[in-house]
Amino acid sequence: MFYATLEGLRRFNIPHKFEFISVISLYAQLIREGRLKVDSSWNREGLKFTCQDPCKLVRQGLGDVVADDLRFVIKAVAGEENFVDSWPRLSNNYCCGGGGGALQAGFVENRRRYGRVKFDQLASTGADVVITPCHNCHTQILDICDFYGGKWKTTHLWNWLEKALVLDDKA
Amino acid sequence: MIRPEDKGLKGKEQMSRPKGSVLVVGGGIAGVQAALDLADSGFYVHLVERSSAIGGSMSQLDKTFPTNDCSACILSPKLVEAGRHLNINLMTLSQVLGVEGEPGNFRVRVRKNPRYVDPEKCIACGTCAQKCPKKVPSEFDLGLGTRKAIYLRYPQAVPLKYAIDADACIYIKKPGRCGFCQKVCPTGAINFEDRPEEITLEVGSVILALGFRPFDPSGLDFTGYGTLKNVVTSMEFERLLSPSGPCMGHMERPSDKKEPEKIAWLQCVGSRDVNRACHGYCSSVCCMYAIKQAVIAREHSESGRLSSSIFFMDMRTHGKGFEAYYERAKREGIDFHRARVHTILPAPNENLRLRYSGEDGEIKEEEFDLVVLSVGLETDPEVMKLCHSLDVELDHDNFVSTSPFTPVATSRPGIFVCGTLAEPKDIPQSVMEASAAACGAGSILHESRWTETRKKEFPPEKNVYAEPPRIGVFVCSCGINIASVVDVEEVTQYARTLPGVVFAQNNLFTCSQDTINQMVETIKKEGLNRVVVASCTPRTHEALFQETLREAGINKFLFEMANIRDQDSWVHQKWPDAATRKAKDLVRMAVAKVRGDEPLPYNHVSVTKRALVIGGGVAGMVSALSLADQGFPVCLVERKDSLGGHARKFYRTWQGRPMQDYLEELVRRVETHPEIDVQLGATIEHVEGSVGQFRTRLSNGFEVEHGVAIVAVGAESFKPRSGPWNYLYGKNPNVHTLLELDQRFIRDDEALKGLSQAVFIHCVGSRVPERPYCSRVCCTHAIDQALKLKELNPEMDIFMLYRDIRTYGKREYIYQEAREKGIVFIRYDLDNLPRVNEQDGNIVVDVIDPIIDREVRLHPDLLVLASAVRPRDDVGELSKLFKCTMTEEGFLLEAHMKLRPVDFATDGVYLAGLCHYPKPVEETISQAQAAASRASLVLSRDAVPAESVTAVVNVMKCTGCAVCTQVCAYHAVTIDKNSGKAVVDTGLCKGCGACVAGCRSDAITIKNLGNEQIMAAVEAAMEE
Amino acid sequence: MEKEIVDLSSIRARVKRQIEKAVPDAHIDYCLTCGLCASGCPASGIEGLDPRKFLRLLVLGQDQEILETNWIYSCTMCQRCRYACPMGIDVGRIVYEIRGMRPREKRPKNLQRSCDLQKQSNSTGIPNEDFVWVVNDVLEEVRQNEPQWKDLQAPIDKKGALYYLNQNAKEPTVEPEEMVPLWKILHVAGIDWTYSSKWWDGANYCLFTGDPEDWEYTVRKQAEVVDELGCRYYINTE
Repeated sequence: MFYATLEGLRRFNIPHKFEFISVISLYAQLIREGRLKVDSSWNREGLKFTCQDPCKLVRQGLGDVVADDLRFVIKAVAGEENFVDSWPRLSNNYCCGGGGGALQAGFVENRRRYGRVKFDQLASTGADVVITPCHNCHTQILDICDFYGGKWKTTHLWNWLEKALVLDDKA
Repeated sequence: MIRPEDKGLKGKEQMSRPKGSVLVVGGGIAGVQAALDLADSGFYVHLVERSSAIGGSMSQLDKTFPTNDCSACILSPKLVEAGRHLNINLMTLSQVLGVEGEPGNFRVRVRKNPRYVDPEKCIACGTCAQKCPKKVPSEFDLGLGTRKAIYLRYPQAVPLKYAIDADACIYIKKPGRCGFCQKVCPTGAINFEDRPEEITLEVGSVILALGFRPFDPSGLDFTGYGTLKNVVTSMEFERLLSPSGPCMGHMERPSDKKEPEKIAWLQCVGSRDVNRACHGYCSSVCCMYAIKQAVIAREHSESGRLSSSIFFMDMRTHGKGFEAYYERAKREGIDFHRARVHTILPAPNENLRLRYSGEDGEIKEEEFDLVVLSVGLETDPEVMKLCHSLDVELDHDNFVSTSPFTPVATSRPGIFVCGTLAEPKDIPQSVMEASAAACGAGSILHESRWTETRKKEFPPEKNVYAEPPRIGVFVCSCGINIASVVDVEEVTQYARTLPGVVFAQNNLFTCSQDTINQMVETIKKEGLNRVVVASCTPRTHEALFQETLREAGINKFLFEMANIRDQDSWVHQKWPDAATRKAKDLVRMAVAKVRGDEPLPYNHVSVTKRALVIGGGVAGMVSALSLADQGFPVCLVERKDSLGGHARKFYRTWQGRPMQDYLEELVRRVETHPEIDVQLGATIEHVEGSVGQFRTRLSNGFEVEHGVAIVAVGAESFKPRSGPWNYLYGKNPNVHTLLELDQRFIRDDEALKGLSQAVFIHCVGSRVPERPYCSRVCCTHAIDQALKLKELNPEMDIFMLYRDIRTYGKREYIYQEAREKGIVFIRYDLDNLPRVNEQDGNIVVDVIDPIIDREVRLHPDLLVLASAVRPRDDVGELSKLFKCTMTEEGFLLEAHMKLRPVDFATDGVYLAGLCHYPKPVEETISQAQAAASRASLVLSRDAVPAESVTAVVNVMKCTGCAVCTQVCAYHAVTIDKNSGKAVVDTGLCKGCGACVAGCRSDAITIKNLGNEQIMAAVEAAMEE
Repeated sequence: MEKEIVDLSSIRARVKRQIEKAVPDAHIDYCLTCGLCASGCPASGIEGLDPRKFLRLLVLGQDQEILETNWIYSCTMCQRCRYACPMGIDVGRIVYEIRGMRPREKRPKNLQRSCDLQKQSNSTGIPNEDFVWVVNDVLEEVRQNEPQWKDLQAPIDKKGALYYLNQNAKEPTVEPEEMVPLWKILHVAGIDWTYSSKWWDGANYCLFTGDPEDWEYTVRKQAEVVDELGCRYYINTE
């Protein structure tokens, strides 16, 4: 969990020499620098994408910057026109309801009741694919989609990034 | 106006004497009021305004609360007056760069930015703007509408002169590229060579009235502002409502120009928010303006289906007439939700969805088609910079720091502040402070009064009695305002055919300086002895034209206006032929009326240079001192045997300043002041006379002659000895009112330290059916007392049972501090009152906490009742003596709730303090200083003008029935003991005409408004 | 909820005071009861509570209720309320403290177990050797089956790599093929990276149990591993 480490390092003043970064920021950086070439032409059918902004990464972590990076990468991968944003979004997005240990804590009914808000929000975007850059979000959104009868596909970002990669001959 | 001659001091005296001029920075309502007060009381004023026109934020408003007056309509006359004032040097597009020197002798560097339009030549015909190809967003409409690169800030701008926006102008950016305005300007007013200019002014004191800017909610992503099209700020909504706004007052929502049918207001956006907005203070005005907007929006709703909801935390309607306004809005069906909304959500059709929690925790959702963010007030960063450079201290919210006992003084001597720059506040409070600041600025310069002012000289007036009417008619095109609808040429030709008319002319702008000059020449050349101007409204322009007549040597009452704009071309745009016919009718009527006009005398009343101040509390003493310090003698009357009034019982101000120390010093100063005569144990028995010359008899037999009077008789604290708000008061010794607890603080009552639990009940006897107003001071006072108890014993549990916490402005911080210190606030409603009982002599209070919806039982050993401030019972008698009116609640009623907050309708009588409305000491002091400022307008003169258009009695017809004496609101008519006929005191008569209507014998007429003249106009109207 | 009289002969509010001691800027008393939090919180109504009611119970010293309610496990500590709260009150942080006040045996079992396992190695409890084995096995499979990826790398414990990558334990445990896309991406971009064979789990449930010592321990271990490897960047996969 991004925040667990980020805030842990901060709150307990843990000495470290490395710089702590998110893979989402790294994707965006690599695409911007041209080190990763992506092409959205695979998406001929025009699959619509939206995403979840993980609380721990965005609101509690790096803020809107990383949420913007997330959108930048999705648009590069799936086509600018195929991204549908949700509202609220970025740092103000709803928690999916799987965080904070809710998936482990066991109060399933409560967890799904919580997730209803997220379900309605995502359903209203009409997206075919929901990108979840956090495992908790992934599990929860998969579950509420199934439970409330959603039609979208819940996935990580890397699957689509892989799909859109333009490989040099040598690769 | 008659003034003493220049004192003509020379040599050494002149060197040490302070300057007789004042710099006022900021041309909003506060700056304009301060400038007018000063200029009318003998000082020369430099009024510096950053934008191209004065008017400030008030000019952008549609209506004002609580009177629902049209903002521009009540503001315009003041702006016009300031713009035309001989002793106000209006400097627009100008900035103050620095102030050096000492009080009495400042040097001010001012930069005048180029207008690129010569104001002497510009006649505001608008041709330039019509041709200008460059459109930019209009600042005045907050970007909702557009303007051209050459523009008027707003249609009623003062000065009514175009300006070029250099950042937008094509020519200025690339000379030679455009220049259309220069080509089409009929007067050659465009000057691309205009350059900034730095000048130095010498003034004696400075007033900062730089106002506020509305909080920008762009940074609050959860509001959706800037992304969701139908989320607007309250200031933007004012423009959407305004007839001069981007949708001409039709109220359209931005996304699709449709009229909204469901609007929500979200309160406290950018106020009372220490997290995202970083503004912990309350902006004071937003609750009221939101209610006003909700009410006005309904009036604007063409479908009539508009539903309005206001989402708030505490409803802060703490001003005079505000609570009644709130109650009326509730009755009219405006929904009030005590809930703050986390996020504005989009809904289909660009609508907006609000999810909110009831007090009981129930989550509700509602859809709206427009959401208005009630944004707070903050200081402009440019203004902060200026204050820093002037060494004027700002508080942590970047408002100018002031002290409760010197509410308009800044940290730098000689520099004063008024209006929202010191704290968010409403218009009346700003106007009050403006007058107070004028008082402060004038006080240090009083010996130089009239030394730098200019005086208007008029040629002697021609005697026209013997002449037949020679009428001149000037028909105004008002640019395109009139001419685009009315055939002005046809009207002009028609005018020439009317009896008595010897001259008629059409002008593009009759009010432009060149036309005015030409009019003077025409009157002389054509030998005109009566003038009709067919143009706009007498409200803004009559004085200008009347003065023009005087310049041409004609009595100013030989003049009539025909309003062919507001009452014709503007309202009949679609029917030009009918409008032209109506214009002819109006001109014909005016000509018929003016034919019978006679020259009237310019009446004056000489001024007795003494003030009578009634009431020896803080308000009375401060106003007495403010006048006495300027050299005006004062008679201060107090009914009790000692000075001090209500404040004797006060422990400290909410800022923590001890009241008694201040009061002691104040009393000492009053008692030892050579110009103040204190009459203790006396009341007012009889008053006669009018402004300039009052004669008053006191109960102790003392008689005083005075030119003005200030009423500052205070109010009382409500003691709930019985009835529904009793709460064991008077029955259990541990139940106090606020002031009773204050007295225990004053005498350092040790027993207070041993208390374990204190409970305060707010709104005891306020905001209840029998006393429907908010007492304004009690929330703050009670919270400060709770904090004091915490100081005495930090372990004490304290509970505040309240309805709405109304710690407006910076007072919000003590509310925050109280919560921080663990003082618990529990809300109650009128239908769910706290219940107070006694069990074995101990107090038990039961109240329901609405958040957890559970009964809470408290066991206080001190119960404090924040009881109402109520008007004194005898105030009615006093108001009758001075012909003043009262509100339904029994407070004294000022001349105008918005713009004349310390004047009575009776000239020369002013009010201050609690008799006007409950208010904290800092507001009482500023109002007292304001009253002194207003009084000095009279006292600084040897004579004041009296009404010329007065009633006259035809003694042949008068039967002496005395009906006229009863209907006259001004007590101007009496029956002469000897003749038995009615006599009019022209010093008192306002020319209202009530006596004329009341007279059964047709014996009274108003000069120049006699039956013959009215009938002539009416008959003219019927002619074809 | 049963309506009983809240008798306040004195408010002790011990829980509130304890939180204030641990979190000096908790500002619980600042609450204006405006309801903004409740309106924006998906957990409002669950277990009869919402953030505002929750704070109110704290303020009025209803400690037993606070310590017993399971609402603290419906609040995901997402801090969305704090994001817009006019007083900036951090209900998430307060909930964290209260979770920590619960005796371990009264906490949700699986949540506590995830943290306890994490303290040994990772939240699923698979042995570190298994993780290493799975990574190599999956890598081998890709190299063999997809000729264009025959050079694909998945280094473990590579000293001096520029980037360190953690791995959510879910993949090696239940869906190992989900690791591959990221390897490919890093490969194409020419990133010099490594896993660690210890403390490699990207998840961390010790943040949610409420025990700061456990949380600190797990983060400290991660940090030590990365610094030992000498990586300049630590990439978090979520």
